[in-house]
Amino acid sequence: MRDVYVVGIGITSFTRLDYPLAEIAAYPALQAMQDAGLDKVDHVYVANMGGGRVSNQTALGSAVVDHLCLWPVGAETIENGPASGASAIKTGAMAIASGMMDTVLVTGAERMNEVNSLEATDFVATLAHPMAERIYGVTLPALAGMFTRLYMERYGVTSRHLAMVAIKNHANACLNQFAHVQNKISMDGILDGKDASHNNPVIADPLRFFDICPVSDGGAAVILASAEVAKKLGKPLVKLAGFGQATDTHAVHEREDPTALTAVRLAADKAFKMAKLKPADVDVAELHDAFTILEIAESEEVGFFEKGKGHLALERGETALNGKLPINTSGGLKARGHAVGATGIAQAHEIVLQLRGDAKKRQVKDAKVGFTCNFGGFGNNVVCLAMVRE
Amino acid sequence: MNKQILGYKCKKCGHVQYPYHSRCKKCGHTEWRGFDIVFDTAPLPQDGKLLTFTHLYALPPDFEAVTVSFGIVELSDGHRITGQLKIEAPKIGMKVQGKVELVRQEGYTKHWGLVFYSAA
Repeated sequence: MRDVYVVGIGITSFTRLDYPLAEIAAYPALQAMQDAGLDKVDHVYVANMGGGRVSNQTALGSAVVDHLCLWPVGAETIENGPASGASAIKTGAMAIASGMMDTVLVTGAERMNEVNSLEATDFVATLAHPMAERIYGVTLPALAGMFTRLYMERYGVTSRHLAMVAIKNHANACLNQFAHVQNKISMDGILDGKDASHNNPVIADPLRFFDICPVSDGGAAVILASAEVAKKLGKPLVKLAGFGQATDTHAVHEREDPTALTAVRLAADKAFKMAKLKPADVDVAELHDAFTILEIAESEEVGFFEKGKGHLALERGETALNGKLPINTSGGLKARGHAVGATGIAQAHEIVLQLRGDAKKRQVKDAKVGFTCNFGGFGNNVVCLAMVRE
Repeated sequence: MNKQILGYKCKKCGHVQYPYHSRCKKCGHTEWRGFDIVFDTAPLPQDGKLLTFTHLYALPPDFEAVTVSFGIVELSDGHRITGQLKIEAPKIGMKVQGKVELVRQEGYTKHWGLVFYSAA
């Protein structure tokens, strides 16, 4: 198996974008090609979830190749719900590792502003179990609300811990010009003050408005290459040293322990094993905080902290930008935004920036090892990536 | 007749699963009858205890209610199920009794499912 390197990156603002979906995918792709110094690639993978239903654009892979004038390279769309982005990176990495391709463009895009937020949430809920969950009106926030309540009951996590995640990630996003939500929030404003319940209403009890990520439009891209190509291009060498994926039952209630995110644990294990790394080696991580509770739970399942102790590490500031292990330096889904199909690639984008030393005001000092967790479904399809600066 | 939620019973090992999987989750068996996959069916009990719950205030657009409560219930035979709750102040661990009711109407499609009430 051959080594895989990330040689180019690109990203759009995560916000409201009034461009066709294929353009939102093409824009960061061009940036990434320029960044890599490549004019063409051997293959294209495009990550997206809502093209067919929300944007009336199926076969997005072909549409993106057309925008980029990259004919006749092969291309396809990778749809794996909110984990589409990292799934596409993993697929691209396998193409390079196998020796079939030397350069692969992986770009992801979503355009959710075509529908209002309730319709968007209902669309995302189509990934829930159709008979056992969705028919009841269960949405992703509802699943997260039930998960959070059990987590609180069992491990002593409180609304204050959840708010700390939001406050931290909003502060990080203020240092990221591409983030969707660039405003500082405070404990007083969202939990303690007299206007808190107005500013931060309950959405899926116990989850409040600021516990839930925004629905964003956006795109992100990476170029993957073989070692031989990467060394010729002369960019700082960031190796995609490990990737892992795991699945779990479709219906959340069917899991033996509904507070366990088993697929996160297994995907992370695989990624670390492949990279010959341990969780303790990681300098900076992007975890899929679609809901604040998920940053805490994932930080435990991937092995950074003991199960049930993640909120204590957060409390001690270990996951803050100046902490021992900064998590979601981009602002995370919570504040950088969640452009569903692009999210896993935006996570990788952030890690590459950090490992190259190009993250400016939010740079983690001497970051050499980075990690991402892209969480699909409600934890039923998870892809983790481990990256190393050489 | 009272409507019920059915579990799917493996023709080989007798394990009852809910929701439906195309083969037995426990022993991996698939029973073919021609081109059809067949299971025996067995109604699930409707009483149990509440494992967790939420009150959702941002509902899919086809709902008219301001809020709907959902919960995961551990049924008296050990199966778990997700359903709606009609309980004023639910508590984890409380005893609940379910009833199959109309839970959602999307356009002309009606969905029936379990709604749980307090059994205390």
